[in-house]
Amino acid sequence: MKTNLLAIILFFLFFYSNANAQDFRLGKVSVAELEEKEHPKDPSAPAAILFKKGEVKFKYDENNGFQVLTEVKTRIKIYKKEGYEWANQEVRYYLDNQLDEDVSFSDAVTYNLVGGKIEKTKLKSDGEFIEKINKYWGQKKITMPNVREGSVIEFGYTVKTTITSFLRDWYFQSSIPVNYSEFITIVPEYYEYKSNQKGYLTIGRTVEKSRGSFTINSKERIEGQMGVTKTEFSQDKIEFQETRTIYLGKDLPAIKDEAYVNNMDNYTSSISHELSMTNFPNTPVKYFSTDWESVVKTIYNYDDFGPELNKTGYFEQDVTALLSGKNSQNERISAIFDYVKNTVKWNNYKGYSCNDGVKTAYKNKTGNTAEINLMLTAMLRFAGLNANPVLVSTRDNGITFFPSRSAFNCVIASVETPEGFILLDATEKYSEPNILPIRDLNWIGRLIRKDGTSTEVDLMPKMISKEGTNMSIVLKSDGSAEGKLRKQLTNHEALWFRKENLATNKDSYLEKLETNNNNIEISDYVRENDLDLSKPIIETYAFKDSKDIEVIDGKIYISPMLYLVDKENPFKQEVREYPVDFGYPKQEKYNININIPEGYAVESMPQPLNIATGENVGAFKYVIANTGSSIQIVITKDINTSIVQADFYPVLKDFYQQMTDKQNDKIVLKKI
Amino acid sequence: MNFKYFGLVFFFFTTLLSAQKTEYSSLLIPDSLKQNANAIVRLDQIDIVIASQRSMNIKEKRVVTVLNEKGQNAIDAYESYDKRRVIKNIQATVFDAFGNEIKKIKRKDFKDQSSVDGGTLFSDGRVMYLDYTATQYPYTIVFESEIETSTTAFIPQWFPLSDYLLSIEKSVLNVSFPENLGFRKRELNFSNFKIKTTADTSTQLSYLATNILAQKEEDYSPNISKIFPRVMMGLEFFNLEGVDGNAKTWKEFGKWWSDKILTGTEELPEETKAKMKTLVGDEKDPIKKAKIIYKYVQEKSRYVAIMEGIGGWKPMPVKDVDRLGYGDCKALSNYTKSLLNAVDVPSYYTKLYGSKDKQNIESDFVSQQGNHIILTIPNGENYVFLECTSQDDPFGYQANFTDDRDVLVIKPDGGEIIRTKKYENKDNVQVNKGKYSLDDNGKFSGTISMVSEGSQYGKFHIVTTPPTEQEAYYKEYWGNIGNLKIDKTRFSNDKEKVRFTEDMEISADNYWKISNGKMIFVVNAYNQYTGSVKRIRNRKNPFEIQRGYYDVDEVSISLPTGFSIESLPQNFELNTKFGEYKTEIIKKDNNNIVYKRSLLVKRGLYKNIEYDEYRLFMEQISRNDNAKIILTK
Repeated sequence: MKTNLLAIILFFLFFYSNANAQDFRLGKVSVAELEEKEHPKDPSAPAAILFKKGEVKFKYDENNGFQVLTEVKTRIKIYKKEGYEWANQEVRYYLDNQLDEDVSFSDAVTYNLVGGKIEKTKLKSDGEFIEKINKYWGQKKITMPNVREGSVIEFGYTVKTTITSFLRDWYFQSSIPVNYSEFITIVPEYYEYKSNQKGYLTIGRTVEKSRGSFTINSKERIEGQMGVTKTEFSQDKIEFQETRTIYLGKDLPAIKDEAYVNNMDNYTSSISHELSMTNFPNTPVKYFSTDWESVVKTIYNYDDFGPELNKTGYFEQDVTALLSGKNSQNERISAIFDYVKNTVKWNNYKGYSCNDGVKTAYKNKTGNTAEINLMLTAMLRFAGLNANPVLVSTRDNGITFFPSRSAFNCVIASVETPEGFILLDATEKYSEPNILPIRDLNWIGRLIRKDGTSTEVDLMPKMISKEGTNMSIVLKSDGSAEGKLRKQLTNHEALWFRKENLATNKDSYLEKLETNNNNIEISDYVRENDLDLSKPIIETYAFKDSKDIEVIDGKIYISPMLYLVDKENPFKQEVREYPVDFGYPKQEKYNININIPEGYAVESMPQPLNIATGENVGAFKYVIANTGSSIQIVITKDINTSIVQADFYPVLKDFYQQMTDKQNDKIVLKKI
Repeated sequence: MNFKYFGLVFFFFTTLLSAQKTEYSSLLIPDSLKQNANAIVRLDQIDIVIASQRSMNIKEKRVVTVLNEKGQNAIDAYESYDKRRVIKNIQATVFDAFGNEIKKIKRKDFKDQSSVDGGTLFSDGRVMYLDYTATQYPYTIVFESEIETSTTAFIPQWFPLSDYLLSIEKSVLNVSFPENLGFRKRELNFSNFKIKTTADTSTQLSYLATNILAQKEEDYSPNISKIFPRVMMGLEFFNLEGVDGNAKTWKEFGKWWSDKILTGTEELPEETKAKMKTLVGDEKDPIKKAKIIYKYVQEKSRYVAIMEGIGGWKPMPVKDVDRLGYGDCKALSNYTKSLLNAVDVPSYYTKLYGSKDKQNIESDFVSQQGNHIILTIPNGENYVFLECTSQDDPFGYQANFTDDRDVLVIKPDGGEIIRTKKYENKDNVQVNKGKYSLDDNGKFSGTISMVSEGSQYGKFHIVTTPPTEQEAYYKEYWGNIGNLKIDKTRFSNDKEKVRFTEDMEISADNYWKISNGKMIFVVNAYNQYTGSVKRIRNRKNPFEIQRGYYDVDEVSISLPTGFSIESLPQNFELNTKFGEYKTEIIKKDNNNIVYKRSLLVKRGLYKNIEYDEYRLFMEQISRNDNAKIILTK
């Protein structure tokens, strides 16, 4: 018993001292850290962040008021050459003079182990660079000296700013492992922030209150007796309460990119802070966004949002003319929607705030998302429709997990009807009502009414996008086939097709079509409804295919979909960490008729198949029948949801494998 | 009465016309120029005035009609600048299809941005560019700019047809220069294009190109710099970032580069020199010594590019590279050269174009050329070339980036053009030896050893990629095997012999399925040619296979018991000018067969009309690689 206890104590002692061996102060690099050959938990990691500490504090300055200082200290271990990029660091800052932003690096040192001894190489000014990226952004860069496999690098930097409306985002996780990540905010009682945490990992949080103070020097001229004035200097020490919040993450694995992921940022462990309230002495308390209602109100009250929405003079004449004779709701919507799409082009800038304003955008025929879609909303209202703007976060901006002004980066339009919402985005010329461009399909948006109240709007498409194919194949005994195909694309499939192909000239498109379809020969190609968005895209053509049929020992082997067959399962990886994002629900349907050459009969055919994944995610149906000299096949593939959770991945992978296998099954024809 | 009205109407019509710039109307463009075009260069007038060795002025007026969104790039409205290159004027005007002015874009409306590309850490170069959103198609944009620079070492080359799917109505170049600066020019690829030399005197050079029709891009085409017309120009007396120079021959050019650009950068601390001597010890052979030094550089350094002023040309001092352990291609090559010098191994700073697409320094046109630096070590009659920016290339490895091209070697007594190492077709070999078996549940299990050399060795980078990427790579590589599982991977990278070996164990459930008592599967499981060569109607340009390769496979296959062979693919052989292909199946007994395959694709430049033959060659290979065995129970 005693020995056991001792062992436990020893174990703890050892453990304790071991944990303590790592010193999270700059300059205290240990030999053990330099000797480490690979990351103990992730041997493939090219580098690791041994620690990263950030501290945000407020400093009072009589001239500028409160300034926010963010001090960051980092130690990085480089294991492999692929990790050398971590020896180059950069930090951005706003160039706007009023914001008085600045970045300064300090204590940048590279450590190497040379003959068992620690060798230090300090960063000198020749490794530090200042770059003006453009009008708005500057950037400081450092490149560390003497970096090799095994090096440990350290650096600190401070960001100084007068921006208090948000704090810089802190990323606990990175593309390499992070052993220790600590983030501290020390906020005086005059400010209150709302923090939003993202990611799947547990981050510890502790809160302490303490007293802080600053001194104000003031001078006062006092009129004394007999007209003598004198200046009296006084110092006021102002005391206040500070809230100190410590966030701590340990042993955070590297975040790895995966295919079919909407945006990796959604899953990276991080924290953001947005100002929710200011409460200065002798000043009324001011509230900022803390819940969706107030976020929306704040945005609505911005000069370049709400007031822009209420302007109508600039278009009234044109829109009145446009609407004459159009009485039904749908007519009016599509007239206005088409008008905006065709007259005002998107300049590729996203935003929910107007840049030049709706009037200028209308005049110049070009604008950002806000100008175009607020203009659209205003016109729809003018036409007597119940139209409102909807705030959206596009896919590259991440999912709107938490209420904050930066949660959104875009705005679209909506019309409320008894049948539900009709969503419109006039920045995409091939989009239709309720068929938004893919970038907008990002979970939930926020609709703002005239009175500033708001409501959630589901952005994910409910309408199924269809790809329908009719193919008739005449098979010849020499193993070639001739046939005709008719393909029809609706909704998002049509939108995607138009975006991708309409600007391509016909010859190049046909070459691409042939190449993507196992080099069949295409003739008599016709396409309908290129620009008639209300109708599906329809392609018809005749083809010759000699590569997808095999004649072996007088027997003909053919998989009925010929060149349309999916040869491989798109889901290859064994495990999946993040949800699979299809974007929108989709149905693919094939009606195939095969004419058997004379003198041949069916020896064997694939078995029919009817499978579904459960939870209504996917279904697949394969029906085949032989009547005389022809074979009919009907294949239907349904993906009914836009997003599939990661834990459902094995089922999905297996479902795709079964579909792929079935499509590749052969019909065998024999001579009679 | 009628007469009066006519006059009135006529008057109205003419005033309307005068408010338009009819020359910029898109309506009058001949159909031939619109054919295959996304944009049309209506006029591109470049006037270059070289006033002296240290002063050059470039004016451009470029009028482009953009027919659709894919033609936007043809506007080409950007100018780079830095301390010695000033943009004196930059502006643009947009016209609609009728030639009505719709927008004026002033200097302040151009975007101004630092011009750092992905590989560069810092550069003082900047760029002004136009970011215009088209509100309608077609539209016409008139871009005007004026540049003043003291660097005369580069006269921009004239390249009127700069892209596919772009046609030229009119393109003009006027260059004027003092007689005494030794101006010279080289015309390339003029033969198939309508280009008129309108002046060619001792102080003046002018060209006019009209009505060049848009071309479609065709796969396997040589780079457009090898097929579209262009003119290279240069001066014998030039200035480079404030440094005067003169050179008539490569020898002189190299000498100047060595004296003015390299001298003063090469000094190495005594301590490092001594260290290098210790490192090589008693080794006498210069190549063996070079190997030791190269390894030292690879371990010590990393690639970081910093471009400031003459720093864009002059390597960072060797002693700084020694202290900091980083540099760009110039700095690292120059550093390696100094280290080699310390152990008495001569080597030469070498200028060239580094790219997968082979590009020569134009050997009969002495001028500043190239975009990369490597190091050349004499080895008897031959040379060894070192890529100093790579931390893991084997000594002397060049394939896929600097192989088989003319380069400028700067020797102490001057420059010289030499050819880098050529990798012959069969040097780029991959030998695959393996086996697989199938059981009666449909499971595939096999082992394969793949040994790659030459340009195919380039895949050794797979070693350093994360495991998830490796898995993804092999699942893509063997995309023909559904349900693939990678059971074991072992790599060995023999840098000495430049040979990379992948030993793999793989398996797959349901590789085949029994239907109606039959089992059908593709024999060639490990190395299928699955690519496809696009059919091109009426190909115009020649086509080029830049590097040949050679694959040799031998695979033993064990079949499940209880089945008999119903059908085996025929042996197959193809011999064409493009290469050779052969497959053979040897039946050992009822359950064991051996599959042998070899494919040789030859490097070469071929005529446009030969393309279809090549396509058919590859198609037959693809078809035969898919040949199947049928077994019956």
